[in-house]
Amino acid sequence: MHITPLLIAVLSVALYVFGYYRMPFVYGGFLLQLIYMVLRGMELGRLPLVGPHDTLFFLSTSFMLFAIPASFSLKNRQHFMNPVTAMTVCFMLFAMLARPHSYPLPPVLRTFWFEIHVAFSFFSYALFGLAAVLGVLYLVYREEGAEGLQYKIILVGYFLFSVAMIFGGIWAYYAWGTYWLWTPKELWTVILWLFYSLYLHARLRQWWTGRPAALLGIAGFVIVLFTYLGVSMLMKSSHAF
Amino acid sequence: MSNELRNTGIPSKILNFFLSLRTAIWLLMALLCLLLYGSFVMPVSEEFQALQTLPLFQWMIENSPGITWWLWAAITVISLLTVNTLLCSIESVLKKKSARQWMLVISPQVVHIGFLFILLAHLLSGYGSFRGTAVVYENQGLRLPNGNDVLFRKINVDIDQTGYIKDWTSDVEYFKEGRSLGTDRIGPNSPSFQHGLGIYIKNVQFQPYPVAMVEVSREPGAVWALIGGILFMAGMTTLLLFKIKKEEVIG
Repeated sequence: MHITPLLIAVLSVALYVFGYYRMPFVYGGFLLQLIYMVLRGMELGRLPLVGPHDTLFFLSTSFMLFAIPASFSLKNRQHFMNPVTAMTVCFMLFAMLARPHSYPLPPVLRTFWFEIHVAFSFFSYALFGLAAVLGVLYLVYREEGAEGLQYKIILVGYFLFSVAMIFGGIWAYYAWGTYWLWTPKELWTVILWLFYSLYLHARLRQWWTGRPAALLGIAGFVIVLFTYLGVSMLMKSSHAF
Repeated sequence: MSNELRNTGIPSKILNFFLSLRTAIWLLMALLCLLLYGSFVMPVSEEFQALQTLPLFQWMIENSPGITWWLWAAITVISLLTVNTLLCSIESVLKKKSARQWMLVISPQVVHIGFLFILLAHLLSGYGSFRGTAVVYENQGLRLPNGNDVLFRKINVDIDQTGYIKDWTSDVEYFKEGRSLGTDRIGPNSPSFQHGLGIYIKNVQFQPYPVAMVEVSREPGAVWALIGGILFMAGMTTLLLFKIKKEEVIG
């Protein structure tokens, strides 16, 4: 990796750490993350969405992309932004530990359907991550509005995840002749989608609102992490990463 | 429960069971447990390798229940979920037909219909899909399952300086009883379709001479999956807009 992007990433982490004291530092850190992604995209000539380095970085940037606007609807922004910043830094550091995939893409991956499928998947993962943070806030601080915001964020995440699945099916049909493959990754994707379908239906019942819904929102992100990282590392699948 | 549904003659206990949101939640939980189990069994059982090449139902019949039980159970749960979804959707529309926010009533039902179309797609593909592979050389022909022939006239491979295959295409011509039906070009993410069959090139090799790994497939559910996907996205888009607006008003 070139030294300039690396410096930008390190500086971004530093700004996020200062963000614990002053919110503008968080905005600075996010801006540097965006610059890093633009530079990386220019270097590759495509969206940086392949391999653990780029996807982890994309996910960490997506956390902030949605967290900053979402934080304005909360009374205590710092309560929300501190764990989100920690999560962002954590994923960014993991990204920096992984070797960047800077090789040309196989022809089958050079399509709009692939890029939109992956980008929307990670946007939804990020939203589910934020929903988990809001669930914790609701349980720990009894943060007013956190559970309602968690529901809205999951609804948007569920929409993006569904679109990602549909676009993935269209791409798979054009690439491999089928919109569905029997692999652990596909199965876990369906498990994740069904889990959030369960959340959305359960929350319609009075009993599930509040604490149970908050807990479901937290458990959902555990499934997200296993679908993204666990399956890729532990199970053989068409989706290596 | 709406009177229209009560008058269908279905015993009320069964109707109540299927009209319950609690039923949907329990069925979703059961389905999740079955798929979780399956996701851990699949990678370690060799039998599942053949699942990519055979229609689902044929594969399930050919393999022992000891391996396939969770899939049979999942299909049963999905069938119950289908009835539950259909009845709940009908009831919701009948109950709230005079509601002021009609879009908020109809959007989840459009999402449900989209979901049911996707299930129908899997049912059709699970029953009637086809997949066959072959290795072809330039100017070699292949007999398709519909009786027509496809001739691979040219296999073009674009290689960079390091020997990496950047791109490939193949010019093909279709024949029926020796009469040309037309030509086409196959590339990555760009298959050729002929009377419901898709002809795909999965892999190519250039040395010692151009050769392509070809797959011929038929997915009878593909169109239904696309229709279902479009309905799902349309319903979700309007649902999202109206639901968030409603939550803001309540909040």
